[in-house]
Amino acid sequence: MDLLAGLIQTSILAGGVLALAALGEVLSQRVGVVNLGVEGLISLGAITGIATVVAIPSPLLGLVLAMLVGLIVGMVFATATVIIRANQILCGLALTLMGTGVAAMIGKAYSGVPAPVTFEPIAIPILSDLPVVGRGLFTQNVLVYVIYLVLPFCIHHLLFRTRRGLDLRAVGENPAAADATGIPVRQIRFLYVSLGSALAAGAGAYLTLAFVPSWSEGVVAGRGWIAVALVIFAGYRPWTAVLAALLFGLITSLGFVGQARNWPIAAPILSMLPYLGTIGLMIVPVLAWQKVRRLMAAPAALGQPYFRDIR
Amino acid sequence: MMVMRVQRMPSESFAGGLAARLVAIILALLVAAIAFAWTGADLGKLGAHVLKSTFGSRFGLMDICLIMTPLILTGLAVTIAQKVGAWNIGAEGQFSAGAFAATSVALYVPGPAVLVLPLMVVAGALGGVIWILIPTLARAYADVSELITTLLLNFVGILLVYYVATGPWLDPSGLSFASTARLPPEIPLFWGDVHWGFPLAVLLTILVAVVLNYTRWGYEVRISGSNPSVAHYAAIPFRRHLIVVMILSGAIAGLAGMFELAGTTHRLQGGISNNFGYVGIMVAVLARGSALGVLLGAALMAVILKSGISLQTQGVSMSTVIALTGLILFFTAIADELSHYRVVRPMRTEN
Repeated sequence: MDLLAGLIQTSILAGGVLALAALGEVLSQRVGVVNLGVEGLISLGAITGIATVVAIPSPLLGLVLAMLVGLIVGMVFATATVIIRANQILCGLALTLMGTGVAAMIGKAYSGVPAPVTFEPIAIPILSDLPVVGRGLFTQNVLVYVIYLVLPFCIHHLLFRTRRGLDLRAVGENPAAADATGIPVRQIRFLYVSLGSALAAGAGAYLTLAFVPSWSEGVVAGRGWIAVALVIFAGYRPWTAVLAALLFGLITSLGFVGQARNWPIAAPILSMLPYLGTIGLMIVPVLAWQKVRRLMAAPAALGQPYFRDIR
Repeated sequence: MMVMRVQRMPSESFAGGLAARLVAIILALLVAAIAFAWTGADLGKLGAHVLKSTFGSRFGLMDICLIMTPLILTGLAVTIAQKVGAWNIGAEGQFSAGAFAATSVALYVPGPAVLVLPLMVVAGALGGVIWILIPTLARAYADVSELITTLLLNFVGILLVYYVATGPWLDPSGLSFASTARLPPEIPLFWGDVHWGFPLAVLLTILVAVVLNYTRWGYEVRISGSNPSVAHYAAIPFRRHLIVVMILSGAIAGLAGMFELAGTTHRLQGGISNNFGYVGIMVAVLARGSALGVLLGAALMAVILKSGISLQTQGVSMSTVIALTGLILFFTAIADELSHYRVVRPMRTEN
């Protein structure tokens, strides 16, 4: 019982990084831009978060500054991919290399320093005393509720219940048609790619201020790439993305539990689980029914820059 | 009145593309230099140090050749995958798997180096193949993005090497905590410290270029990569080419791991792949699908890596080199797009 309660709590906490980054990537890919720089953005957010709280002990400020850095870097990325229309895959890889490199350079001074302040778990009265699930579901830091409930609700509402969302999806499906009806394709792409990048960097701050909570080189450990894979697996939908992230949180925390309980499997082998699990899950949906597959399909214009003059 | 207009062309001129890339690389280095100057580094001193440690001595040149060897192979692996329209971002993992497989041969197969080395070569290539097999089949039969699956396997490969190097295969002498004992089979030396892996990598690159450019198979592969629907129309077996080329790509990256192990490090150690796989992507991007380009791209990136290593005493780390690589990649991608634009004069029309 205690094992299960701990597992639920760690899964939710661990999945938060992936969920937030994946939500950002959903925004970006829905408008038709593949942002492969998530890994770099998480790294930059993570180091910004920790550097901020070491200077000024406010986790909220750390998160806000991290997202601001993400927004600015995202705007640079959007300028390259949406305005100049350079190759999205190359720009994304470049952003990942720059982000991880710069974060590691700055991070030397902060390596191994525990975050002086973090987002503390808050126990919701009564509910948190529930057996088994109480601790996991109702004794979490405030960001967990925002990431798992508030944000997916807002993004789902935006995408599927507003006029704006219809425009946004049209830009990702058929930018030429959207352009013809007067939707500002470039503006919308620029805005949501930048916002998505801000969320990815926020995921970094969550990593160092709520989950780990400290910086070390390689702390991001491919979470950005897993988040990108999740978005595909989740069919570019916010709620499914969050659920998939939770599943990955579970896989990650199985590794932690295994290490803590001295399972006869070496730690590096347990650490392989999330990556192998992601690959497994990427292959699974293909076995699903044709109808589900069509529902989960990528935006039709994903990855393609839009040139008004070449049609 | 004549109005000058900028227009995007479907393809760019060779000279224009080259010039744009040169500008991009110089700009990236300039940005890095400004960043260094801003942190208070003495640029003149750093520059002199870099020049002395790279082109200034025989040892510098030897080191560049040694670093070039894995980069040529990983760059070639990414390039041939691109030829068939696939992104092999997993050279890092295939490199690790190749080094792992070659080590297992060196550890468990007794015999003279003459016999063990070829076996290690086969094992290294096979390790790379195994590492790319699932992404290849998933892409070929289920259309799963090989970009992400190959990339995720990088982490698994690095963890695998780390695990055996610190666990079951740890140097029994107790002198090292994160590597195997020195493995006796060594690739013979070619020039100073440079082993025969270097000329072999160059030869392999030329061989691949010839096959791709001058055989029917190579032609079919290139068609498959540039336009799958045309390939389908012409009854070219696209899927078979995709599988064969991706497996070949994995084998080449695995070979890079074997060369690095038996030629340079002589021990399997954690982090043996040393970002060679990621820098290999950069090499392939610089090469733009040409074999001669792979050699030039590998040379350029080797000089940058060597400069980074020589500046480590000045507080420059591998992370700095990775960040700089990203910066060059970013500017190159932008330059590639911008070089499509031409200034055109519209034809004069009479009323």
